[in-house]
Amino acid sequence: MNRFWKWTLAIFLGVLAVASAGLSFMAGSPKDVYGMVRYALPHMHRGKLKVGADAPDVRLLALDGSSHFHLRERTGARPLVVIFGSYT
Amino acid sequence: MVKIYNDYKDRADFLTVYVREAHPTDEWQMKSNVKEDVCYAQPKTLEQRVAIANDFVERQKYPLPFGIDDMSNAADLAYSAWPERLYVIDEHGRIAYAGGMGPFHYQPEEVRAWLTKRFGPVTQTSSTDAPAKP
Repeated sequence: MNRFWKWTLAIFLGVLAVASAGLSFMAGSPKDVYGMVRYALPHMHRGKLKVGADAPDVRLLALDGSSHFHLRERTGARPLVVIFGSYT
Repeated sequence: MVKIYNDYKDRADFLTVYVREAHPTDEWQMKSNVKEDVCYAQPKTLEQRVAIANDFVERQKYPLPFGIDDMSNAADLAYSAWPERLYVIDEHGRIAYAGGMGPFHYQPEEVRAWLTKRFGPVTQTSSTDAPAKP
């Protein structure tokens, strides 16, 4: 291996180490970096619904676990604030 | 969001939609959830999803109307919901406000700003300010 490649490799590894350390610090831990890349990154380019677009209808289940209703049933009379989320 | 709900529930409708878990124990678990004892594996069945949704509502005393996404994640896919996201849909069924991907771009204050612009500022002096997510 000549000197050029040795330096290139060293710089590459150095940048990688600094980036991992920086991301670990930002995300909390190396495990969170993995989580971010594995679970969050694929979602970052979603969100194509823009203001003015028709709100898609979806069928949802009520908390009783048996009755269903449609999101669009809740729209029409007044503005509807929709909050998507989970417990964790 | 609970405070915004309390402030504007007489003027607008609200709906919370429970989608698949963001930080289940078998995926990307967060220390904060361990600390608060909010530890669930990613539901594999609709019954498990319903059970977690009910736990959430009961433990947080969450007052907003509630719906649960099905196991095909139809709502999540249609609204790019995961892990959390906010929308306002107007009376004509059109998107009036589309929030960004949570948690960093999950901004309840933008929803309040929309409601304030539409209905004027409202702030109840209620004490039902539960520390609820979402």
